[in-house]
Amino acid sequence: MTTDRTTTPATGPDETRFALSCDGITKAFQGVRAVNGATFDVPEGLVTALIGPNGAGKTTVVNILSGSMTCDSGTEHIGGTDVTNWPSYRIARLGLMRTFQLSRELGGLTVLENLLVAAPDQAGESMVNVFFRPSAVRRQERENVARALDILETYGLFHLRDNRASDLSGGQKKLLEISRAVMASPKVLLLDEPMAGVNPALIERIGGYILDLKAAGVTVLMIEHNLSVVERICDHVIVLAEGQTLATGKLSDLRENEEVVQAYLGEVIDASTHG
Amino acid sequence: MSNIWYYVFTLVFFLFDYFILAMGLNIQYGETGILNFAYIGFVAVGSYVTGALALPSSVGTGQHYILGLGLPFPVNLILGGLASCGLAVVVALISLRRLRTDYLAMVLISLSLVLYDICNNFVPLFNGADGLYNVPEPFAGVLKLTTNSFIPFFAAVTGVIAALLWWVMSRITRSPQGRTFRAIRDDEVVAAALGKDVFRNQLKSMLIGSFYAGVGGGLIIQFSGSFNPTAWLPGETFVVFAVLIVGGVGNNVGMLVGSLVVETLLIHLPAFLPAIPGHPGLIEYFDSVLIGILLMAMLWFRPQGIVPERVRRALSLGAPANLVAGRGEAPGSAPGRPVPVEIATADAQGEK
Ligand SMILES: Nc1ncnc2c1ncn2[C@@H]1O[C@H](COP(=O)(O)OP(=O)(O)OP(=O)(O)O)[C@@H](O)[C@H]1O
Ligand SMILES: [Mg+2]
Repeated sequence: MTTDRTTTPATGPDETRFALSCDGITKAFQGVRAVNGATFDVPEGLVTALIGPNGAGKTTVVNILSGSMTCDSGTEHIGGTDVTNWPSYRIARLGLMRTFQLSRELGGLTVLENLLVAAPDQAGESMVNVFFRPSAVRRQERENVARALDILETYGLFHLRDNRASDLSGGQKKLLEISRAVMASPKVLLLDEPMAGVNPALIERIGGYILDLKAAGVTVLMIEHNLSVVERICDHVIVLAEGQTLATGKLSDLRENEEVVQAYLGEVIDASTHG
Repeated sequence: MSNIWYYVFTLVFFLFDYFILAMGLNIQYGETGILNFAYIGFVAVGSYVTGALALPSSVGTGQHYILGLGLPFPVNLILGGLASCGLAVVVALISLRRLRTDYLAMVLISLSLVLYDICNNFVPLFNGADGLYNVPEPFAGVLKLTTNSFIPFFAAVTGVIAALLWWVMSRITRSPQGRTFRAIRDDEVVAAALGKDVFRNQLKSMLIGSFYAGVGGGLIIQFSGSFNPTAWLPGETFVVFAVLIVGGVGNNVGMLVGSLVVETLLIHLPAFLPAIPGHPGLIEYFDSVLIGILLMAMLWFRPQGIVPERVRRALSLGAPANLVAGRGEAPGSAPGRPVPVEIATADAQGEK
């Protein structure tokens, strides 16, 4: 399956490097093509939006890129490594973290423990270390706890640290998803609608967090329906429609693109200008 | 020693033994979420192997069994535990990697039935329906205990082993390894997305739990000197589950409490009660009725069990007190950091 790129791919200036690329990704569910040759590159160190109508296959693409799902065909590269259909734990260990559209907290664990689980390279996950190097395990655990508490403070969840994650509100769970991913010190972060269903003040805060992550050198790919958010925090936009990459580029350029406007932007622009 | 003490120490033995068995099932189900409906099969393998290793060569004993090495206690017991681990590896490789929890549970029920049929019918393995008997008492040559002094002695030995295994298990469940198990229990997909090798961790959990099952089984055959298929009908798995649910899934101390309530009080104590006049043997069937009622009552009124899973708070996880005290406590005042960008939204004003 080949795809047409209606705009030139975002090669940008020559030195632009891509943290994540996928080429010709397809995925069918019971014969229905949810993803149909999605092809795009995610530039390193920037915030990229993945937009498109409901059911366009955005979440499915994120599932495939993060290894939560395998694809039927196509390839995926992270920083030059071919990671096509790698299991998600190996992709995660390369530094790619993702959040879920419908928050998936580890409900039986506390908020703090949710973050601690995500800490990379834990000595205490080896039985040998637990019994024969307990002081090394304890030391690392103390460091991780301190870092997790810092992150919780940054994300405004500190006061909830000892609550069971299942007891959080919807918005708090969204914050937990992001802070848990941040705990893993990701190089690439895939956010599936991080601002869906949260109040406008929190939308602002989350936008701020995302820009902070960018400033810290994290590459972000976020699915987002709110175009005013996309306009303000995303450097680059990928439009997905019916499982294909319809266009990539700056949002302002995409607004000029007939096809994109017809497939997706039209109504939204109308709604936001007249609404 | 009077009969009453004989009974009491038998109860004490089963209290400790089911404590061990419940800890093993708890790490699999309570901590990692593996619904091991074949658990009693792992207990049986440990029991048979422990017994067959303690027995001398089968020639001339009138029994048929493999191994027959005459190994001393506790070498045979440890090998019995490892034999259960061997079964766990086979089961894990065949089914754990491919199947979701509910399908895995069905496969494990079938496995339990198949194991049962094999042991019950294939005489050369562990003497078929007759099972193993005349298993030498541990330390028989050294201590020369009478039957009556052996029972309290071995109940105490089992208590020591249970305490040791409890210490080991607490270390595991308190460690980051235990936390990773619980993460997998709560959501495998999330755990994998956070970099956890789910299969590897489930395999570890299966191995730990199976070792406990095997040792618990081995202690049974060493205590009673015999073990046969009537001792491990596949439904026995649910007695261990009942211990778990009553005691409190995910809590090691709960396992001891559950063992006391279910195993000691409900299963074994009625057997020592006087028979109901005119209905000999009836009372022995009461245990399953009582367990059923208790399980329903627990799930209805106290699903977290008598001793619920601990909430592991920041301070108990090693957070320095000064790190926790006095910051971020007022969520309204200053949650986090200043927001660097303004994202104008049409209706944002009302919120600020
Ligand atoms: N596990 C699944 N089984 C069957 N069909 C699926 C599955 N996941 C997604 N689909 C289908 O694939 C298509 C794309 O779904 P996807 O969730 O990727 O859309 P999306 O772009 O994220 O939409 P939204 O903006 O509403 O979140 C939809 O038609 C959906 O019904
Ligand atoms: Mg989606």
